[in-house]
Amino acid sequence: MSGKSNEKLEDLYSPAAIIFTGKAKRSESGRLVAVRRMRQLSGPNLASGAELDAIEVQIAGTDVAIATYTYRFHSHRMGKDGSREQRNTLFGRSTQIFQRDDGGTLRIVHEHLSSAVPPKVEKEQTSGA
Amino acid sequence: MEHIGKEEIRAVVQTFWNLFTAKSKSEFDQFYSPVATVFAADARRSEPARLMLVRRARELFGPGSAVGAKLATIDVQLLRSDLAIASYAFHFSVTRNLPGGKRVRVEVPFGRATQVFQRDERGILRIIHEHMSSAEPVSPQELPGA
Repeated sequence: MSGKSNEKLEDLYSPAAIIFTGKAKRSESGRLVAVRRMRQLSGPNLASGAELDAIEVQIAGTDVAIATYTYRFHSHRMGKDGSREQRNTLFGRSTQIFQRDDGGTLRIVHEHLSSAVPPKVEKEQTSGA
Repeated sequence: MEHIGKEEIRAVVQTFWNLFTAKSKSEFDQFYSPVATVFAADARRSEPARLMLVRRARELFGPGSAVGAKLATIDVQLLRSDLAIASYAFHFSVTRNLPGGKRVRVEVPFGRATQVFQRDERGILRIIHEHMSSAEPVSPQELPGA
């Protein structure tokens, strides 16, 4: 997610995963969201980072677990109008539900990200433009 | 034990909201497993459901409170014969009295819910985790004459 891994973000998700992103009004397909995130966050001059608090895990039987935690997420990304913006999510909240697939790999089948306080978004000054 | 079905989960979610808006506290509380955890819509941390239920009863189930909800399509993911996830958008509205005496109305037009249901040893579906949020910031509106 912070763009520092060569692994594909979408591979963490089950093909049938459903996601509520931070501000979407409807749920979406997990893999579509993962591809979009990588495009938004892994371009040149773009960066992001996350700090996680303690992760609580509820085991729900032999093959399912629910991870819940709060986090802070900081990103420099392209806004909808093409300008660079800095986005700081200071009170992020995450629920991720993992299930072991037929091959034994844990994959996210459902994710709900939200923020208790709206993220701070600031336009960045471009130099020499 | 009977396998969970999608329509069964949709019916349970509808019952959950019917009891919520009717302020049927004792029946409503039974929806949650004793070990359930929740992210309430405006909370900065997750918490045990039993704490949320005490607060919800105090703030929303009193005689001066009114709660309304309208649900969009409920997606159901069946994970196992005894485990399922319901996720949906909803419009939520509440009118209530604040401790200082003010009366406020809160509209949440873009609420989002994730509820994980597990059938317990008695065959009853209970919520083991819940995450409620709003896609847009909401602010209470003070009502006149309060």
